[in-house]
Amino acid sequence: MKRLFSILLICTLLASGLIACGKKITDNTGGKDQNNNATVTPGGGAGNEEIVDRKFTKTRKITVEVFDRGNEGGTPPENNFYTNFIKEVVLRDHNIEVTFVPVPRWTEVEQINNRLAAGDAPDICVTYDYPTIQTYANMGGVLDLNPYLEQYKDMLPNLYGLLTETNINWNKNPETGAIWAIEARLANPQRINTFVREDWLKKLNIPEPTTLEEFEDMLQTFKDNAKTLLGKDADKMVPFSISYDVGWRADHLLASYVPDNLSEKDAYIYGFDDRKFLYPGIKEGVRKLNEWYNKGLIWKDFALYGSGDTTEDNMMKAGYVGAFIHNWDYPYRNGEDSINNNLKRLVGEDANYVAVMPFKNDAGFYRKFLPGPVDRKVFFPSTNDEPLASLLYLDWISKLENRMFLQIGEEGVTHEKLEDGSVKMLATKGEKIMNSPNNIDYTITINGLDIGDQELNIKSIALGYVGVDPSYIEKAYKYSVEDGRYSQNYNFGEITSETGMGPALSEKRNTVLTQSVVAAPDKFDAVFDQGYNDYLNSGGQAIIDERKTAWENAMEQ
Amino acid sequence: MNGSKSEDSRSNKAIKRNKTYAYIKRYWTLYLLMLIPLIYIIIFRYIPMTYIQIAFKKYSIVQNVWEMELAGNYGFEYFIKAFSNRDFLYALRNTLLLNFLDLLIGFPAPIILALLLNELAFKRFKRLTQTIVYMPHFLSWIIISGLALQLFAPTNGLVNIVLNRMGFKSIPFLNDPAHWVWTYVLLGVWQSIGWNTIIYLAAITGINPELFEAAAVDGAGRFRRIWHIILPGLRPTIVVLLIMSLGRILGSEFDRPYALSNKLVTSVSNVIATFVYTNGIRGLQFSLTTAVGLFQSVIGVIFLTVANAIAKRFGERGII
Repeated sequence: MKRLFSILLICTLLASGLIACGKKITDNTGGKDQNNNATVTPGGGAGNEEIVDRKFTKTRKITVEVFDRGNEGGTPPENNFYTNFIKEVVLRDHNIEVTFVPVPRWTEVEQINNRLAAGDAPDICVTYDYPTIQTYANMGGVLDLNPYLEQYKDMLPNLYGLLTETNINWNKNPETGAIWAIEARLANPQRINTFVREDWLKKLNIPEPTTLEEFEDMLQTFKDNAKTLLGKDADKMVPFSISYDVGWRADHLLASYVPDNLSEKDAYIYGFDDRKFLYPGIKEGVRKLNEWYNKGLIWKDFALYGSGDTTEDNMMKAGYVGAFIHNWDYPYRNGEDSINNNLKRLVGEDANYVAVMPFKNDAGFYRKFLPGPVDRKVFFPSTNDEPLASLLYLDWISKLENRMFLQIGEEGVTHEKLEDGSVKMLATKGEKIMNSPNNIDYTITINGLDIGDQELNIKSIALGYVGVDPSYIEKAYKYSVEDGRYSQNYNFGEITSETGMGPALSEKRNTVLTQSVVAAPDKFDAVFDQGYNDYLNSGGQAIIDERKTAWENAMEQ
Repeated sequence: MNGSKSEDSRSNKAIKRNKTYAYIKRYWTLYLLMLIPLIYIIIFRYIPMTYIQIAFKKYSIVQNVWEMELAGNYGFEYFIKAFSNRDFLYALRNTLLLNFLDLLIGFPAPIILALLLNELAFKRFKRLTQTIVYMPHFLSWIIISGLALQLFAPTNGLVNIVLNRMGFKSIPFLNDPAHWVWTYVLLGVWQSIGWNTIIYLAAITGINPELFEAAAVDGAGRFRRIWHIILPGLRPTIVVLLIMSLGRILGSEFDRPYALSNKLVTSVSNVIATFVYTNGIRGLQFSLTTAVGLFQSVIGVIFLTVANAIAKRFGERGII
């Protein structure tokens, strides 16, 4: 037995020694990339001679991340009509062979983490989560794009044209000049809306609410008239529905409680939470929700359902939900299968959701917090040994002609052109179906329809929904951005206390908000304050302090 | 290798070695067969263990694990960080609480069920019941949590709808921390009871039937037979399984608490596994979570050996 054990031990040591040697070899490539800060290494320079008129003389191979939404009736995201188009034309234009790597949309951060750690991340990665990129950059796992962008700028007219210096330099470190990721363009800033059942308003003869009081009365009226509105299903009535992500699902309500004179400094210091949980006044907004919950105006069981659960959508489709706050076009999206279309089928032709704008702030504005012109972050992991080919791919996908084809597809199949030049999207099934709206998952440098003219864009967006009158969409668009306050970009370098804290803090925020909403009225303050302090003690305060110092050092010297 | 000094022991060893060689030579085919699982264990169990050192080092994805920089405080930075993190301490408490309740209720349950099944006279009914009770073992926790929501949600859950119709108030099975703990434990019993019964039933079959006959002749009833024959017969099995359960007291499943949990019960449902998931995998703090994992394993080993030693002291065979 002893002997066996010692043999085992020797084997183990031998094997681990071998692994160590094996790793060393790969390590060199990792080390090389870290030197890229100073100058572009011969790899890039040598590539230069092999490229004529932005076309490689020898075929290069790159891999590109694509979100996999697993949608019903969809095509494989890595192999379909649109990927074939991309592959074919990129090969023709630049002699680059593209392979797509599907990554599940709803667990993309985890998936990319695993792939980065395993060293098989796609050459071009996309994520909404900048801290992930920063964390990996600190470990040396991400390529600094700055030297490449500087060297090859002339070869990338479309990329610079679409993103502009603003988005390309958005994340540029003010001291080192490193650019770990460039920001895709957010073509249209609309974000969130409040929706109400229009047919219920008509049935009960109440006008669209324009103040908080009217909105509240409306919810109460819905509840009181459940028998009229739902008949035998009266006990299923949900005047206002919400999810565990309270910050998102009550956004316009909560934003209206934030004082209008919030300074840019405070907006920066407390703005790291993407639901603006730390802004002053939010607590009072949550108190309002708590009040509604205890009056029975909010869906009782909302806290039990996690992300991706369709229970709430099904309740909307079945016609039990009176009002809700969600993505600006939530009830209209998904073509034939949209909430609105299902509602019409199940309840009746007149059943319909309409966007309303009831929440005014202390200065009388319908204030909402809107993002800067940035969307997804595109980065290259350090395992990318084709930075030029990857940049040329980004340039190709940023070219109006190419991205427009991806966004609207073929005329007569996925869209039709109207007389005024606007584009109407058509519901498509089969191989030319778009897995994501306007193929957003392929056009990774832009989010939002862009056919080259802003006025036509909005018209086209409004035409893009199946079974909805364009006026509803135009209204939703207007309400979603009216009186909006846009995020400014303050880049004072890395805030180190934010590293790795994002998911844990978001988790805590959702917990505090959910528990506060369902607390008994007399316990609300205790529950909220305890959760709030827990959030601060678990890393929130450290971030606030560091951001404060960063602001004061840079802006108030 | 050549540590022994006296002539005697050396020759003794030489004889022993010769014997071993002869043995291996004779049964080499068997040893060859054993090589396959051995290689498996080396590759998938021992080699990965070298990565435990991540717990003591500053993790980097591009560096080799041997080259990573040692963490602060002589490498114990992340252990200190974990133990000064309140979320970790809560997770530790919850893990202990849930596992202890699981042990208290989940451990004796299959023994009792096995005794009951064994007493059934109608064999076909026994087999049918046995099959049905172990079915839930094959359901994933995601499916069970979906079933739980359908049954136990406060307003839409079937059980609560029935209760309401009968004039009772809803029971907050899933949305109140104290109730949730019991739902969690009982669902665990429901899921695993049948499967764990199999091993006890097998042990009961192994008991010498002459003992039952003798007891019957002496006039022992059913309870006497259970008490004096079956339970003593089961004792070695029970002890082995108990020691193994104790080894898992700080281990923690991920899918069960994660799937059953919701935002209202995080005060009891956050366990070490979910802590590792949020902070380590999603928050990219791999060193911290490796430290947590190592701590879990060390405590597990301590429990295992202590339980084993106690069992041996009381005259049982133990497992190590």
